[in-house]
Amino acid sequence: METPFIFWGAILWMILWGIIGSLVTRRRYLQHDLDTSNTVFVGAMLGAATGPVGLVPLWMKTPELTNRLIVIPAIGTVVLIAAAFAFADPQNNCVANGSFVASQITNGLIIGIIYGFMALGLTLIFSILGVVSFAHGEFYMIGGMLVYFITAVWFPGINPMIAILMACAVVFAMGAIFERMFLTPMYEGKIDRPVEYGILITFGLAFTLQYFVQATAGANPVKVRRYFDFPRIRLPSSDDPWLIKTSRGNMELFDTISISNPRFTAAITCVLVLGALLYFLHRTWTGKALRAVSQDRDAAAIAGINPDRMNMLAFALGGMIAALAGALLVQAFSWLPQVGAIPAMRSFVIVVLGGLGSLPGAFLGGILVGLVEAAGTGCIPDAQKAASYIPAYGMVVLTLTLLLRPTGLFGRRFASGTHGKF
Amino acid sequence: MRGQVPYLLGLGLIGFFVAFPFVYSAGDYDYIMHILITAFFYAILAASWSMLAGYAGQFSFGHIGFMGVGAYTAALFSHYFWLSPVPTELCTEYQFGSTWLVIVNPIGVTSSTLTQDCLRQALTAWDGSVEVSRMPVWLGIILGSIMGGVFGFLIGVLVLRLRAAYLALFTLGFAEILKATISAEIEITRGQAGIELPALFEDGVTVFGHAFSKTDKLPPYFVMFGLLLLCLAILAWLAHSKFGLFVRALREDQDAAAALGVNTTRYKVLVFVITTMMAAAAGAVQGHYIGIITPNNLFLLQMSLVVAMAVIGGVENFVAAAIGAIMIQVVLEMLRNSFVIGGYEIDMTIWRLVFFGIILMLTLRFARNGLIAPMIDHFTRGHVAHETVAKRVATEAEGTE
Repeated sequence: METPFIFWGAILWMILWGIIGSLVTRRRYLQHDLDTSNTVFVGAMLGAATGPVGLVPLWMKTPELTNRLIVIPAIGTVVLIAAAFAFADPQNNCVANGSFVASQITNGLIIGIIYGFMALGLTLIFSILGVVSFAHGEFYMIGGMLVYFITAVWFPGINPMIAILMACAVVFAMGAIFERMFLTPMYEGKIDRPVEYGILITFGLAFTLQYFVQATAGANPVKVRRYFDFPRIRLPSSDDPWLIKTSRGNMELFDTISISNPRFTAAITCVLVLGALLYFLHRTWTGKALRAVSQDRDAAAIAGINPDRMNMLAFALGGMIAALAGALLVQAFSWLPQVGAIPAMRSFVIVVLGGLGSLPGAFLGGILVGLVEAAGTGCIPDAQKAASYIPAYGMVVLTLTLLLRPTGLFGRRFASGTHGKF
Repeated sequence: MRGQVPYLLGLGLIGFFVAFPFVYSAGDYDYIMHILITAFFYAILAASWSMLAGYAGQFSFGHIGFMGVGAYTAALFSHYFWLSPVPTELCTEYQFGSTWLVIVNPIGVTSSTLTQDCLRQALTAWDGSVEVSRMPVWLGIILGSIMGGVFGFLIGVLVLRLRAAYLALFTLGFAEILKATISAEIEITRGQAGIELPALFEDGVTVFGHAFSKTDKLPPYFVMFGLLLLCLAILAWLAHSKFGLFVRALREDQDAAAALGVNTTRYKVLVFVITTMMAAAAGAVQGHYIGIITPNNLFLLQMSLVVAMAVIGGVENFVAAAIGAIMIQVVLEMLRNSFVIGGYEIDMTIWRLVFFGIILMLTLRFARNGLIAPMIDHFTRGHVAHETVAKRVATEAEGTE
C-alpha cells in the first residue's frame, strides 16, 4: 500500500463516527419513545458514511427508519471504504486491473452460492429445532468422504451421481438417528437450558464423527477425480475473438474470467437443488408442514402436524444438505477429516448474517460472504497474509452483524419455540 | 458427618497430589509428571469454564482464545523486552537508574534472511563483554493474566446483549480471529513457527537447600498445582459469596434477576473478567513450562477438550470439572497404545478420542450433571434439595395442568 495512512485514517474516522452514531441515535429514539430495533445499525452506517453531516438531521428529525434509510447508508459505507482503499493504493491489483476484479467477483459469486447452500441446511435446522448444529461441518466432511470411498474404494467405476445420492442417503439416515437418540429430550421440557444442550450435544457429535473418520479413513488427504468434463467448445464461433471457451477442466469467459469445472458444476447443482428445495418447502404438504412448525409449533400441532417428526426431518435434511455440499466440493479440494471446520465456521457466519432461521437470508448471506472473502484475498497486498487471514474475514462480518444488527438481514425478531430469544 | 465426606476427600486428594512426586519413583517419572502438569492446566481451564458456563450460563467457546492471550502476552513480553546494564544504541531503550529497558525490534522468522534483531547485533558487537538479562518470568505471567482480563472485559461488554447460540458463535469467532491474526502477523508473532518462551525457572531454583535445574519437573508441577489450588480457592470463595448467588440468578432468569435489583451488567462482565484471567494465567504458566506456543494451541480441538472435561466432570460444579479434567487427561494419556482384536490392530491413539466423544454425548444425554458432580452432591446434600429441583417440579406441574 502506498499511502496506508489515508486508508487507515479513513477507517478510523468511520469507526469513530459509526460508534458515535450508533450510541446517539439509539438514545435519541429511546427518548422519543420510537422503535429502536434498527437504530444501532442505521446510526452506525449513517455516521460512518456521512459523519456529522448525516447524523445531525437524523438526530433532529428522528424519521421513521424505512428500508430505504437502512439500505442506502449501508451501501454508502461500503462504497466509501472501497474508495478510500482505491485512493490509498492506486496500483493495487484489485483497483487497477479490471479483468482481475471481474474474475474475483465471479469466483466470489460461485463460491458464495455453494457457501449459501451449505448454510441453508444449518438455518433449516435452526428454524425448526432452535439448535445451532455444531456438527454441520462434520456432515459436510462425511459427505465428501463417502463419495471418495464409494467411487474409489468400494465400487470403483460407479457413476458419481449415484455415489452422491448414496452419500446423501447415508447422512440423512445418520441425522435422523442422531436426532431420535439425542435431541428428543429437548422437546419435552426435561432440560433446563435446551439451547445450550443442543450446542453441546452437537459439539460432542462433531468431535466423535471427526475422530471416527480419522480412525477409519486415516489422516492422509484424498481426492476424487472430477465428475464431468466440459465439452470442448468455442462460442460464438471457432474463430479467434471468442467469448466463451471451454477445455475439459476449465471455462474461460471473455478471455478474462476463468472458472474451474468442479466449482462450476457444484454451483449449478446447488442452484438446481435449491430450486427443488424451494418447491418442496412451498408446494408439498410436508414442506408446508415444516414451515408451519418453524412459524408456530403449537399451532402446527393443533392443525394435525406432528412436530416431533418434523424435527427429525429437518435435522436429517439439514445434515443432508451439508453432505451434498461436501460431495460436490470433494472434486475441487483435497479432503481430510478436519476439512469441515472452516466451512462450518463460514456457515455460522452466513446464518447469523442472513438472520438465524431465514432461508433467503442464508443464501444471500452466502453470496455476500463469498464476495467479502474474494475481496479480502484479492486486495490485501501481502498474499501470504491475505491467505492466513481467510478464516478471519467471515468472523469480522459475524462480529459486525452481532454488534450492529443481531437479527441479521432477514431475521425474525420473535420466532416460535426455543429460539425466540437470542 | 456425612456432609463432611467431600471435604475430607478433597483434602485427601490435595495431600495425594502434594505427596505424589516425592513417593513415586518409577522410570517414567518425568513422563507421569508431565501428564499431571498438563492435567492441572486443563483442570484450571475446565474449572474456570464451568464457572462461566455452568454457574453464569455464558456458554463461551472462546476460553481457549483467552488462554492464548495469556500465553502470547507472556511470550511476546519475554521475547521483546530485555534489561541491559549498557545502552545498545541500536534499539528503542529507556533508562531506569543504572539499567536500560531494551525493546527489541520485531523481525519475524529469520531463517531465509541474515538480518538480526538489534539486540543480537549489539551482543555481537560487544562480543560477550556485556550480560543482558530477561524480564522476570513472573512479571510476564502477571501481565498475561491482566491482558487476559482486559480481553475478557472487552468481550464481556460486547456480548452483554447476546444469549445462547449467538454468544457461542461470537466467542468462537473471537477465538478464530485471534488465531488467524497470530498466524498472519509473522513479523511479530513468528506465525505458525510459534514463539519460544524461557522455562519457568531458566536459571534453576533452590528450594529448602535442594537445587533444581530448569528441566526438573518438580518446580513447574508445584507452580501449576499451586495455581490450580489458587483458582479453585477463588472460585469457591466467589461461589459461596453473594457473587455466586447473583451469577446463578443471571443464569436462571436474567430479566427476573435484573428486576430484583441485581446489577446484571456488572456481574456478567465481572464473571467474564475473572474466568478469563484464570485461563490466561494458566496459559502463560503452561507456555513457560512447555517452552513454545504456536497458533495451533488455540485450535477448536483444545476447546472441545476443555468443554468435554467440564461436562463429563459436571459443568455446574467447578471442583467436579477440575477433577474430571485431571482424570480424563490421565486416562487419555494412559490409552495411548494399541491392541489387537481378531486380527485387527486397533490404534488407540485415535480411537480413544472417538470413545471420549461418545462418552461426552452419553453423559450429556443421560447424566446432565456430569459424572462426578452427582457423587459430591450425593454426600453434601444427602439425596435431596437439588438446586434445580424446585424449578423442575414447577415445569412438571405446569405440564400436567
